[in-house]
Amino acid sequence: MQNTLSQPKPGESYLLWLIKIVSGVLILAVLIIHFLVNHLFAPNGLLSHAEVVAYYRNYPIVPIMEGFFLVFVVAHSLIGSRSIILDLRPSPAVLKVLDYLFIAVGLFATAYGIWLLFAVINFGV
Amino acid sequence: MDTPKKPNTRGILDWFDPRGRNVGGWGFIINRLSAIGLTVYLYLHLYMLGKLAQGPEAFDAFIETAKQPAIMFGEMLVIIAGLYHGLNGLRIALNSFGIAVPAQRQLLYGVVGITLIGTVVFGVRMLTAH
Repeated sequence: MQNTLSQPKPGESYLLWLIKIVSGVLILAVLIIHFLVNHLFAPNGLLSHAEVVAYYRNYPIVPIMEGFFLVFVVAHSLIGSRSIILDLRPSPAVLKVLDYLFIAVGLFATAYGIWLLFAVINFGV
Repeated sequence: MDTPKKPNTRGILDWFDPRGRNVGGWGFIINRLSAIGLTVYLYLHLYMLGKLAQGPEAFDAFIETAKQPAIMFGEMLVIIAGLYHGLNGLRIALNSFGIAVPAQRQLLYGVVGITLIGTVVFGVRMLTAH
């Protein structure tokens, strides 16, 4: 099994590979907190709208944490999707278009998520 | 030593080719399938959470819908995929930095074991919470 060690694949820079690994570990850490709070401590296993708003306002660290969680998980999902695509051996031209598409999706998802965090914090204000 | 796997020549079909595949190879396939499932879930999750911006009626109605058995079954799949992908990722991260490399096969069995136990715990919790 020595040859199954994870390493950057052709077309994937060392930096992207490293971000994938590091963001993965960070996601795991935040996901545990995310789960405890949103599902284990929630009375019915799921928070209501009012509970989410109160929770974000009472504990400002929570929306900050969720914001970082968003960036880590979006980056990880897109770098991961890209490495799956690399296995399908796209031509350099196709890969270039896909790279722009991944960047666009990442920027849009991050902007949307941060907008949503503020929309929850400021709801009804 | 297992027979070396032949090079990837048929794209996605090769993922499901059992020939010459060792335990770590299966670990990789499950990692990849769970990755695809979790990616689909992530963007669906972000989209559905948009209902938080629409107000209590929209969001709480969605939460009620989420308590249907079909949705709960889907959520269990997310739990299984998340547990496996997260724990296996930790194993890969450790091995990538040269830690516990000789134990990687045993660690994979541990990953599968904890995933199974975690799935039962989450399943019981989910059924009793509603």
